[in-house]
Amino acid sequence: MELTITGANAMTNPVLHIWDWRVSLYLFLGGLSAGLAVMSSLMHLQKKEDRVPAGETVFMVAPWLVPVILGIGMFFIFLDLDRKLNVFWFYLTIQPLSPMSWGSWGLLLFTPICLLFAYGTMPEQRREWLYRLPFMDDLAKWIKPRIQLIALANAAMGVFIGIYTGVLLSAFVARPLWNTAILPVLFLCSAMSAGAALMIVLAKDQCVKLFYTKVDIGLIIAEMIIIPLFFYGQYVSSESQRLSIMPFFSLSHEYLWYTASLLFIGVVFPLALVMKLAEIKECHEGLSSSDILKMNLSAGLVLLGSLVIRLTFVYAGQLSKLV
Amino acid sequence: MPKYAMVIDQRRCIGCMACIVACKAENNVPPDQFRTRVLEKTEGQFPNLRTELRSELCNHCDNPPCVYNCPTRASYKRRIDGLVLLDKKRCVGCKACVAACPYDARYIDHNKGFADKCTFCDHRIKEGKEPACVATCIGKSRIFGDLNDPKSPVRLALKGHHAELPLKSAGTEPRVYYIRRFGTE
Repeated sequence: MELTITGANAMTNPVLHIWDWRVSLYLFLGGLSAGLAVMSSLMHLQKKEDRVPAGETVFMVAPWLVPVILGIGMFFIFLDLDRKLNVFWFYLTIQPLSPMSWGSWGLLLFTPICLLFAYGTMPEQRREWLYRLPFMDDLAKWIKPRIQLIALANAAMGVFIGIYTGVLLSAFVARPLWNTAILPVLFLCSAMSAGAALMIVLAKDQCVKLFYTKVDIGLIIAEMIIIPLFFYGQYVSSESQRLSIMPFFSLSHEYLWYTASLLFIGVVFPLALVMKLAEIKECHEGLSSSDILKMNLSAGLVLLGSLVIRLTFVYAGQLSKLV
Repeated sequence: MPKYAMVIDQRRCIGCMACIVACKAENNVPPDQFRTRVLEKTEGQFPNLRTELRSELCNHCDNPPCVYNCPTRASYKRRIDGLVLLDKKRCVGCKACVAACPYDARYIDHNKGFADKCTFCDHRIKEGKEPACVATCIGKSRIFGDLNDPKSPVRLALKGHHAELPLKSAGTEPRVYYIRRFGTE
């Protein structure tokens, strides 16, 4: 057995083996569900009577997708746990200083709220079969006058989960790449943008697609401001933080993945933005099939960019350490 | 109440690695994982190079990020002596403590699924013995004792030498002190 440990490997640097793609996917899907919750609640927060366009199914589908996507994300984090049977300890403990603790309680609160909202947004005729269970009828009657309040709670929880996915990483003093207050803001912005992008893909109504395209433009611009600020902030900070971003700017083969990711992010968001700006029209002008294709394509680019951000930051953060 | 601490006198380390072997044997550490390690650290620019051996282990910090980040309170700081320990039955293997430790002192025991790390051989301390790595160190590079006892070996070592704390700027307040072979550059 080799006992003299001199180099950087998994033995001397266990950081190389802490969290992998499962955590990245959890953060991405958690963020996506949070963004979708906020975006699908937006229409219900308006004061007017006809809040949701008639015949648009996205406002029924998206709220149901929130718990589904969240559930898939939670499945991936569950896969990452090394002692899966001990998972119940998350819910027997409150650790105010641990983001993972308040995240697990937050997810426990978010799930019933998003389910209530999804049930409340189902059209009457679609949920009739559920009335065979007497309490479902009562529940529907209870939700109806409170739907705006539930939409507000759903959006608030969406914002909470969006921020939490960033705080989970930024709370580690040991990992200088993550240990910055701007990371939760970036992750929140990226989550909201991904939620808007998914709404664009799912929506059939042109006015709804255009509405979310305009929302997404604002969010992409915000992301394009936050990402350079993040790198600038790291570069002008302590030595550990300056070194933590070096994998992104090193052209060596060892860190090629990080440089490529940064280039990809640097291309994909401006490209999506340009495509979206070209799509902006008034909704009565109508959209051609090629407009809709471009809309869906740019939304796909935003989703892909969001995923790449999570993958890159999770892996690169583990290479960084205090010096 | 005792306040256990360790002093690593780097000038006395000969790199025999007996501390690693003793730790592994005492604590049943898996073959490819370590509670303590000895690093060879080379500094300077050729031809003006210098190498020193550096023993690393859990620092039992007074401000422990691993404890703060543990979502299930599996990692805790024991009040009576300040040792950072792990309640294995509460550990979910989420690896938050591994990511939180600036010293990379923790690992996940993949055979058992929980996080693990140096305990200063808590079971030996209870019997009035020194940690296994300290007892076996032939160069007396590892010194262990109670900081609250003026006659303890750690207090005496710290009294007579300038000692450094690892990554002091992180604010973790470690309890492992280093007497370096060479001064800080």
